[in-house]
Amino acid sequence: MSVTKLLGRLHLNRESVLLVRNDTLVPGDAMLDDVDVVEIRPVISGGVS
Amino acid sequence: MKCRVCRGPAVIDLRRHNSNFCAEHFTKFCRDQVAKAISDFGMIQPTDRVLVAVSGGKDSLAVWDLLLALGYQADGLYVGLGIGEYSDSSGGYARRFAESRGLGLEVIDLPDEYGYDIPTGARAAKRAPCSACGLTKRHLFDEAAVRGRYDVLVTGHNLDDEAAVLFGNVLHWHTEYLGRQHPVLPARDGFPKKVKPLVRLGEREMAAYCIVSGIDYVVEECPMAAGNRHLGYKEALNQIELGSPGAKADFYFGFLRNAAATFAAGNAESREALGLCERCGSPSSAEVCAFCRLVERAGGAARPVALVPRRGAGGEQ
Repeated sequence: MSVTKLLGRLHLNRESVLLVRNDTLVPGDAMLDDVDVVEIRPVISGGVS
Repeated sequence: MKCRVCRGPAVIDLRRHNSNFCAEHFTKFCRDQVAKAISDFGMIQPTDRVLVAVSGGKDSLAVWDLLLALGYQADGLYVGLGIGEYSDSSGGYARRFAESRGLGLEVIDLPDEYGYDIPTGARAAKRAPCSACGLTKRHLFDEAAVRGRYDVLVTGHNLDDEAAVLFGNVLHWHTEYLGRQHPVLPARDGFPKKVKPLVRLGEREMAAYCIVSGIDYVVEECPMAAGNRHLGYKEALNQIELGSPGAKADFYFGFLRNAAATFAAGNAESREALGLCERCGSPSSAEVCAFCRLVERAGGAARPVALVPRRGAGGEQ
């Protein structure tokens, strides 16, 4: 399954998260294996200042 | 997916730029975007002394790192806001970043030095937490920049931040705020020059920059910000961006090109004369500045500052 497809299944906006595998960024078209452990890192932050 | 520059394996796809990059060329892309923002808007001169407002989050640590990479002399300023474990954690990231690179970092602890924290101050002043926090940080950043005789104060506001603020200001037609929304605010009336070198880079890009550069930052969101309107605006804009890559940049830079000057001119006509806050000595249009009023309500104690405004036009920033 590709990263983009995984994010779609999880109903996550690809503009709002990054996917990290083994401390490395993974782009949208990369294929994930069933045994991969990945971090889906939110990127939105902040109050108003 | 291949890097646009070297055709090696890409680590990130930027649909807004119709480009993919490997780690090395993504880093260069970010540096180039910051250099272009600095040049286009006249943000920083090569010999300027720069103070970076650092929170321990991705944007402020990334902008500090990028400015150093571009050859600027930049110190950091961290304000401990007393927001429980979140402040302890974020302060740790800021300190470790500075220590690991041998950088100067001034730390101001709000509870220790002013006798209140943001949750208490917000409740006492009947302000939203982000409002009390923003007011506090603006005052302390200004004060530190002027006291330290820095030429410019840098904040880590990125394209998403600026687009979200613009969205909110347009939604409610806050014309005064629209007149102040610019990536450079010149020094005036005792306030330091303030710049936002990350306006050409989005939030996703800044998180990616930290990951590929090995910058450890606080990933958790501030607990006081959860559910605020600003985050809602960001989500709404990202939904638009998903179907129309580049929409956020068009919105923000289109405003700067086509409308910002009109609103700024309106502000100039109605600007109040500034005096000095009778308690802390900072520039203020009132006898007691908004920061000192907040401190009083929160049961703390303000201290005199070294700001010396020129008499004349201007309002509180």
